[in-house]
Amino acid sequence: MNAAVIETPEIPEDSIAPSPALDAVLHHEITDFLYLEAEFLDDWKFRDWLGVMANDVRYFMRSTTNAQTRDRRKSVQPPTTWIFNETWSQLERRIARLETGMAWAEEPPSRTRHLVTNQRICAAADGDGYEVRCNYVLHRSQKERDLNTYIGKRVDRIRRTAGTAHGWQIYFREITLDQVVITSHNLSVLF
Amino acid sequence: MEISSKDIEGMVDVHTGRIHPAIYANAELYELELERIFGRTWLFLCHVSQIPKGGDFFNTYMAEDPIVVVRQKDGSIKAFLNQCRHRSMRVSHADSGNTKAFTCPYHGWSYGVDGALVNVPLEPKAYPQGLCKEKWGLREVTRVREYKGLIFGNWDPEAPELEEYMGDIAWYLDGVLDRREGGTEIIGGVQKWTIDCNWKLPAEQFASDQYHALFSHVSAVQVLGAKPDGDDRHLGSGQTARPVWETAKDAVQYGERGHGSGFFFTERPDANVWVDGEVSQYFRDTVDEARERLGEVRALRLAGHNNMFPTMSWLNGTATLRVWHPRGPNQVEVWNFCIADKAAPEQVKEAFERSETRAFGPAGFLEQDDSENWTEIQKVLRGKFARSTKLCLEMGLGNERMRDDMPGVTNYIFSETAARGLYKHWVDLLVCDTWAEVHERSRSYELELVK
Ligand code: FES
Ligand SMILES: [Fe+2]
Repeated sequence: MNAAVIETPEIPEDSIAPSPALDAVLHHEITDFLYLEAEFLDDWKFRDWLGVMANDVRYFMRSTTNAQTRDRRKSVQPPTTWIFNETWSQLERRIARLETGMAWAEEPPSRTRHLVTNQRICAAADGDGYEVRCNYVLHRSQKERDLNTYIGKRVDRIRRTAGTAHGWQIYFREITLDQVVITSHNLSVLF
Repeated sequence: MEISSKDIEGMVDVHTGRIHPAIYANAELYELELERIFGRTWLFLCHVSQIPKGGDFFNTYMAEDPIVVVRQKDGSIKAFLNQCRHRSMRVSHADSGNTKAFTCPYHGWSYGVDGALVNVPLEPKAYPQGLCKEKWGLREVTRVREYKGLIFGNWDPEAPELEEYMGDIAWYLDGVLDRREGGTEIIGGVQKWTIDCNWKLPAEQFASDQYHALFSHVSAVQVLGAKPDGDDRHLGSGQTARPVWETAKDAVQYGERGHGSGFFFTERPDANVWVDGEVSQYFRDTVDEARERLGEVRALRLAGHNNMFPTMSWLNGTATLRVWHPRGPNQVEVWNFCIADKAAPEQVKEAFERSETRAFGPAGFLEQDDSENWTEIQKVLRGKFARSTKLCLEMGLGNERMRDDMPGVTNYIFSETAARGLYKHWVDLLVCDTWAEVHERSRSYELELVK
């Protein structure tokens, strides 16, 4: 047998940014805004939630895969595909669907709890606002006794927007679930 | 309790259109299905485009059995049970990738991409009596065949050849696989999720049930459909404005030997659910080529549902191709692929992937409604009385006929001909020991239907 070659794992580039030093008050303001945004969803105030999504928002989730380490090093890991790939008007149609009262996956609607934690905030690379990385738990209690937990990470980009109710809007959201096989029968809730 | 053939025959009555819901919720029947249905039929493994080079592998399942499909050095394709012959450990763990060998993580037995056991750690010391490695290669799937880019596997050496098994469903499948020169490919990865329902519920819906769309998908129809003035198109400029059943000129269901298909005759080459404008435009731009290859009917056949028995389903126009991998009597794992013409321009392929996700991914506008129905059905069937209360399968009973513009036994689209055929075939496979008997039964049933 060959002696195992021990290599230092490569650290993905996107995680080497130093912990950003952000003004504590600003940090508080941003996290508080994201808690409020989560509360809109949990309270079924979907139109209010839409109000904090910028007109140019992109809202993404891609599938997650199991890849061999040696393939990952060569960047030949299994291809992924979209789970969500939304613009503002598509998010609006999702909400309009819920409002029909005949969107059977959410009729009666699920109870949700969005837990947003481990926020790290820095200036967004596109120069437009701030980028918030966080860990994320969405707990969904559906129908009589169905329980689902979605865990992953989220990257948000937010900017100050004058004239909006809360002074901030989200213009980019990328959700990554840790699950490869999603163990629930649909994703009819918003992340 | 042991279920007899007589019990099984009693659960499906295609002559009066009644089924016994125990077929969806019985663990003993499920064991029998694994052996006599999934152990004998042709099951979809993957698409050739997913393993283009020698050493490329793709991990999938045949029912509950893990299978690794691997491209050989000579370009041919083999499939193996993903099970180490030493103590049953899985030997390939990533979803897909490229490899020179499959090395078991437990004790390090190593198999070539051709399945041969090539290396056993400490072999001379551990096996002083000698180990006949030739005997201990990975178990190979008995038969692997390709149909226009789709790779299928079958455990049964007695089963009919793939094309014979497909029968007329191949004509319907060609409407997706053969629209253009160059065939198809899978765009992007695979969406995978679980639904707590018996595999026959989704298989039957894709084979036979257009009827549910009017009501199940009413919310999607309301929010995605364009207003009659054409002025309210939210999701792409080229979509069909109205639900296709409102404007269709004719509509057909096909059902034979467990397979099923259905579609509407449309005026223009448009998909019936809400695809991006680029996708609709692409269908219009390429309709002449499709017409030349497939004829008028299939060139315009973009609003269709389909299931190849037992578990491969697809929808024309919206590019979803999926397998319902059974996971016990009460669960399926859906593997959903986006399939499109290889010759389509890159930006059109991207539009296909977006459209397919938006409609039929796990968060899809339409997909959400379907899975909700099936999980609720499965919950209802926990009830003792619910499990023994007969269900109505009478739609379109006796109206089957042959047409001259398409092959096989057909009916009006809102019927349950294909569902009756699916359950009939299910019974036949469970109770017959030979394929000759299965075929004999299929033949006499078809004659009876169209006499
Ligand atoms: S189980 Fe695979 S080497 Fe022992
Ligand atoms: Fe449906």
